[in-house]
Amino acid sequence: MANNLKILCTKLSKLRLDHIVTRSAVFTVKYRPPYWYQPKERVLSDEYLTQDNKKFIEEFINDRKNTQQELESPLVNGTFQISQQWNRSTRRVGLVARKIGNYPIWSKDGKKMQTTLLQVVDNHVIKYIPPEEFNPMKTTELKWREKRRLGCILVGSETIDPTTVTKDYTDLFSRVGMLPKKHLFRFMVSPEAALPTGTPLFASHFRVGDYIDVRAKTMDRGFQGVMKRWGFKGMPASHGVTKTHRRPGNIGAGGEKARVWPGTKMPGHMGNRWRTLRGVKILRINTKYNVIWTLGVAIPGETGAMCYLFDTVLPLRKLESSPPFPTYLPSNDELIEYYDECVHPFADRTLTFEET
Amino acid sequence: MSFAIRRTTELIGATKWFLRRECRVLSTLPEKTEEPEKVVARKRSTGRRLFKNEAILESRHIYPEFLPDPNPKWRNSLREKLERADMLQRRSQIDIPEFYVGSILAVTISDPHAQSKTNRFVGICIERKGCGLRAEFTLRNVVDHQGVEVRYDLYDPTIQNIQVLRLEKRLDEKLFYLRDALPEYSTFPFDMDPEILPEGTPVPINPVQVKLKPRPWLERWERQDLKGVSNIEEHLKEKDRVRRELRKTPWEKYDLMKQYRKTIPIEDQNDIWDEVHNQLQQLQMAKKKTVRKRTFVTPKTQLA
Repeated sequence: MANNLKILCTKLSKLRLDHIVTRSAVFTVKYRPPYWYQPKERVLSDEYLTQDNKKFIEEFINDRKNTQQELESPLVNGTFQISQQWNRSTRRVGLVARKIGNYPIWSKDGKKMQTTLLQVVDNHVIKYIPPEEFNPMKTTELKWREKRRLGCILVGSETIDPTTVTKDYTDLFSRVGMLPKKHLFRFMVSPEAALPTGTPLFASHFRVGDYIDVRAKTMDRGFQGVMKRWGFKGMPASHGVTKTHRRPGNIGAGGEKARVWPGTKMPGHMGNRWRTLRGVKILRINTKYNVIWTLGVAIPGETGAMCYLFDTVLPLRKLESSPPFPTYLPSNDELIEYYDECVHPFADRTLTFEET
Repeated sequence: MSFAIRRTTELIGATKWFLRRECRVLSTLPEKTEEPEKVVARKRSTGRRLFKNEAILESRHIYPEFLPDPNPKWRNSLREKLERADMLQRRSQIDIPEFYVGSILAVTISDPHAQSKTNRFVGICIERKGCGLRAEFTLRNVVDHQGVEVRYDLYDPTIQNIQVLRLEKRLDEKLFYLRDALPEYSTFPFDMDPEILPEGTPVPINPVQVKLKPRPWLERWERQDLKGVSNIEEHLKEKDRVRRELRKTPWEKYDLMKQYRKTIPIEDQNDIWDEVHNQLQQLQMAKKKTVRKRTFVTPKTQLA
């Protein structure tokens, strides 16, 4: 018995753990949405409220809306101190705008210019998250590193009735004392361009003659063939061609490359993707309705689409002098309309050319 | 308990009824005797309002570009409002007269490439289209046996003057068939004198029917149901007549949805004209004053 025990002990002492197969229970997260991605839509059910109660809720919401409208910007009433001056490497907050249409205006040399109208609808800063607290997903190394040194500003646009959205979504706003907004967009900013909650943003955040980048979703065109999606030529309509008028033709060669190469242009879904148009000139600004006229009709999206407006990143069109920093402060000596120097205002006299 | 509640509700009902009565008394509206008269009065007032509205709605023919494009994809109330404000501002600088397709106009524009830095063109308006600031019209004339067409933007700030030489309408809404007609139908002298209509007369419709040149044509005119062409049947073959019958769409005039989609609803139009009508009237008054002054001034210069 004792002998057996001894043998067992020696065997056990010789026992070695070499290969440990561990299966970790922690899965690597592929995508972690930021905390403000809360479901917004709510199934509206009949609340069985009495008329009085409905009226009371309406009144309450209207009161809140009015107080929010009348709130002075925290930059004006002195509760917030601007720490630093603007320099060429700072990144300011942008605006959230709605594309409301196109129409022509004329330049001082008599040329017609097509413009796109962007309306800045009821923009307020919801929250600033400093770079230490902002914890973005690790994507490509470069972008991620950049995000680590920038703060994040949430900007909301268009106040809505809080009873029409989910509680989680409303909580995002009520935690900072605001009413919920229809659109909530994120801007990466330098820490010195931080803004306090409740700061209204206006179209005068940009100046006339500046260049901006516009980011929006392109028009959704659905599943499209190769001719519309990639501009292929198709094949002839006649001369013996049958059943292949709009088809792509050959998509790969034989031999060593006897497969379809990745990235081959094929039919598929077209549009409804985020695209940025860079270096768009601002021609005119209306401060009463907060409308910006931009040169050209290439801004993505259809009429009524929402878009981000930033200061441009193009090196030759970047801002040279200091813009309103960190944003425009409302003042009384503001004009209703601002025109770029190349634009001919409609109220001016008829254009005439003098002999040289 | 329940009895008490019922009593109280009854009481409340009674007070309500009483209050209603009281209010009626306060508003001094008679209850029964004069009711029919009131209805009549209301009818009259609506009739008047309709009449007034119709007068305002007539301006959709004079200022068609103030109505926006009816395509709902492009509608936006704020953009339309800003556009109308811009149009009025331009109209305060230049007098854009009332004219129609078929009227003969003289347009002077500032042109940096011309010798005198201005350019004047006379021609018949063959097309008018576009909404808002994109409104445009096309003039056609024959100069040195060569047909010339010039397209102008109505709100282009380089336009110095638009003068209506002859205010009239034609039988069709577009006169593109003048391109295939004999040249004398679209030839107008550049030194034409303006013909002034007496005030208050309706715009005359010119019933002239043009003669087309033999084929080939630029378009299939026979399919377009044109009233202003006289000799279209001469140039047709049997094949063309058969094709024309096959291509006809007589049901389209009954397509109410198609009509609706092409037009701005009357409620929207009322809003637009309410906003614009006053200023347009003022501009017209100012224009009339200047015209009177001019008529007063001209004999003096002749005397001198």
